[in-house]
Order: sequence, then C-alpha cells, then structure tokens
Amino acid sequence: MSVAALRPQAARGQARARIIVIGGGVGGATAAKYLALGSEALDVTLVEPKARYTSCFFSNLYLAGLRPLESLTHGYETLAQRYRVNVVQDSVAAIDPVAKNVSLEGGANLSYDRVVLAPGIGFKAGSIEGYDDAAMQIMPHAWSAGLQTSLLRRQLESMEDGGVFVLVAPPDPFRCPPGPYERASLIAYYFKQYKPRAKILILDAKDSFFAQDVFEDGWNRHYPGMIEWLPGQFTGGIKGVDVKGRMIKTGGDTFKADVANVIPAQEAGRLAHQAHLVDQSGWCPIDPMTFESKLQPGIHVIGDAAKAGNMAKSAFASNSQAKVCAFAILAALTGSERFVPHLFNTCFTLLASDDAVTSAISYSAEPDTIKINDFFLSKVGDSAETRREAVREADGWYAAFTHDIFG
Amino acid sequence: MPGGSTAVSATAAHRQSASSLHQFIALSTVLSLVVSFAECSFGADNNQGAQLAATCAACHRLDGHDTGIPSIVGLSEEQFVAVMRAFTSGERTGPIMRTMARSLSNEEIAILARYFAARGKETQRR
Repeated sequence: MSVAALRPQAARGQARARIIVIGGGVGGATAAKYLALGSEALDVTLVEPKARYTSCFFSNLYLAGLRPLESLTHGYETLAQRYRVNVVQDSVAAIDPVAKNVSLEGGANLSYDRVVLAPGIGFKAGSIEGYDDAAMQIMPHAWSAGLQTSLLRRQLESMEDGGVFVLVAPPDPFRCPPGPYERASLIAYYFKQYKPRAKILILDAKDSFFAQDVFEDGWNRHYPGMIEWLPGQFTGGIKGVDVKGRMIKTGGDTFKADVANVIPAQEAGRLAHQAHLVDQSGWCPIDPMTFESKLQPGIHVIGDAAKAGNMAKSAFASNSQAKVCAFAILAALTGSERFVPHLFNTCFTLLASDDAVTSAISYSAEPDTIKINDFFLSKVGDSAETRREAVREADGWYAAFTHDIFG
Repeated sequence: MPGGSTAVSATAAHRQSASSLHQFIALSTVLSLVVSFAECSFGADNNQGAQLAATCAACHRLDGHDTGIPSIVGLSEEQFVAVMRAFTSGERTGPIMRTMARSLSNEEIAILARYFAARGKETQRR
C-alpha cells in the first residue's frame, strides 16, 4: 500500500488535490518543493515565465566582481524530476477565485483547490516622475536580478575613474532593508580597486536606514571619503529623473550622475493587484498562521508581496513563510498534523570581501500580525575575525539555502 | 569570494568551544561522505520533526554537504541537545544559532534531536 493511499483525499477516492504555485522565486519554489515533499496526494504545479531564476540576494557580490552571475542562477530541473512538481514555463493571464481557475498567457486553463501566489514586488507607478520602463534601461533599478543587474555592472565597468555613482534608495517598506547600503558598500569595494577617485552618492527617500551605525562604521574603515549619504529631510525627497542628462531631481537640488541606480518605491507585484489581493497599503493582508489571503479565500500569498506584520521582506523570510504556508495547506487538504509555526529571518550583509555583518530575527505568528520575538544584529566594534568568519558562513549559507529551494 | 574548505571553515566556526566539539566536527565530516542519498528518504514526510527540520534546512544542508556552516545531520540526540543548550545559555556565541535555539521549546529541541539522529543512522545504513 502506498503512502498516498492512506491520505484522506485518496482514501475517499477523489482526484488528487491541485495546488498551483505562481512565481518561481524563493517563496514560490520553496512552497512547491515542500508541498510536493509533504504528500503524494497533492498535484503541485509551478507556473513561472522564466526558464531560470537569478537571485537578488548576493547580486551585490556580482556587482563587486566577487561572484559570476551564473553562480546566482538556478533552474527548476530538480523540482520537476526529483519532487515531481509540474513546472510550467508561462505567464499567468488571470486568476478567477470564483471558478477556481488560473488562465495562462499560452492559452491553458488550470483548475485549482488552492493557489499559492508569490508575485514578489512591483514598483509604484509615478513615485519618481519620468522613471518609466524606458528609463529603467538607462538608469537600472537592479532590484529584480538578471538583465537589470548585468546592465548596472556594465555601466559601472564603463564609468571613468573620478565619476559619480548615484544610488536612489526607496522609502519603507521595501525588499531587503540592508540591500541598498550593502550595494553602496560593495560598489565602493570595486571602485577602491579599479576607480579609486570615484564617488558614491546615496540619495535616500528615508531619514535613517537599517543598521545605519554598522554601515557608516564600515564605510569609514574601508572607503573613507568615498560614500556620501543624503537623507530625505536634507534633499527634500526624490522627485524625478531626467534620463537624457542622467539627472536626479530632489525637492531642492538636482544631482548629475555618471551611473545612476534608481530603486523606486515598492508594492505587491502586478498579479496580486489583478487578483484583488491588495489592500490600501499596497501589500496583501494574510492570516499569519496559514498565509491565506484575507481578501480571497483559497489563495495564499507569501514572500515580499505579503503584509506579514513586522517580518522583513527578504529571501530568507519568503522561504520561512513558504514552509509555514505549505504545512498549513498540507494539514487542510491531507489531514496531516499542524504544529506551532516558526518564522525566522537571517541576513548576511557584506561591507567588504572580508567583512560581513549578520542579523537574525525570530518571529511569532499571532492571530492578526507577526511579531518580533528575538532580534540580533552585528555591532560596531566586532572583531575582524568575527566579520571574516561571517563571510565564510555567508558563502556556506548561500549554497545551503539555494539547495533548500532548488536542490 | 573567499570560501575556505569545509574542514577549515567548520573548525573556525567551532573555535569558541573547541574541546567538546572536535568530535562533532570529525563526525560531521565523516557523515558528509555517507549521506549523499539522504534527500531520497525525505519524501512524503511532514511529521513534527520534518516540519521543524525544514527551518534548519534554510542554512544547513540535510544531505550533510555543508561548507562554511557546520553539518547537523548525524549528531546523536545527546550531542544535538548539548549544542542547543550551549547556544541558549550563551556558552557558545553564534548569534544566529542563539536566536534560533531560543525560539525552540525544550520539547521541540528533543524532537529535532531524535529526527537528526535517526536521519544520520538511516543514511549510514545505505
């Protein structure tokens, strides 16, 4: 007798429950794997338009010249072959929550019992005047990895020594709170070696940022005089871009860039809006125990798009949410036991090739929100060996984490 | 990016409580050679041990092929519990593991200890 025969669905002689996971990033791929691993009574389909995924996390190491882009690129072969996930390379046209049907751009219609939607982030239209799809090809955001990241790297390589790199940092909440500042650090690491007279200017929408003292200490130690950070209250905020002149307009001055990286204000990805899963905050309210949408029953939203209380928007958090969501769906559809969910986030952030800081946060899922239980962040004054060890751990973590998702 | 070999990194990671942990490192290194088929036994498994271990899998490979991060597959129950206690008490200083260990109840730590010990034995039989 197979294991599947013991499951309630199969025992009642019904068809296997159908789960459609939409989005093959960290959240979606993790959910698909753990749903497929958890029960043979589920038919799991993963819909993703791209053939391969390039991780945004660690893409700053590529910008610094510390890793090739290929090392950040992962395929879905193992999910398909070892875990029997139906991987469909297509885009979703629409989700119909009443008919419980997902239609694909390629013409297929897939019925479902549950949808897990992991659409990632979208950019808020009009938040920076003139920053449209065409502008992104001149002043890349590089906040979804792949072509945008390699475009930014090419621009940095072509920049003259003595040039100015301007990074526009977004308002909260956004994907990867330390990310823009790690990017400034690692581009400074590249400049220090190849363009030592270059300058980095960070124009921030905010007046403070994550682990600011730790970053500023690192910048003073590794790159004295190279990085300048201007808060929103100083510039009057980011207002617009002039793509032809590579200019960034703030409430006061206009700044000229040789290379500009514009990371705009963010919200839940496009599909979440189409499926009416988004509230006035721009993100998707969910039940923290199951990640089921509070607006559309039967659809779970995980990852950056979810409105997950105090949880950071990060790859690690998406992976953690995906597992909680997968076990909740398994319990609902196969009768497997449910346990207290554990939600966690960890970050490794590099300030230089031999200097990484870490953070770790454990959360508790409550009926209406997700709260921080316990929090750790590296401190100014950590020993050099502690920071070097964190770089080695970061490298090992990337290998293990991507294996957990795609391997 | 500087990586370092498995043995070097694992040793560095354990330097702060060296004596009691040297045997774990040796054990982990040996086990990493024999658990390459571990993932095959993971199918249709979502009991409490597997659900809790899924959290560990975000940093530790459940096939034992860790680099830069110590392997946990194959630790005995006693070893696993001792390591987690060392983190919660502050005797060991790894901040990520301290945060993780403090988020688990004693019962959950015991369940994980049994899960990883059993997984280690299972993979050794292959």
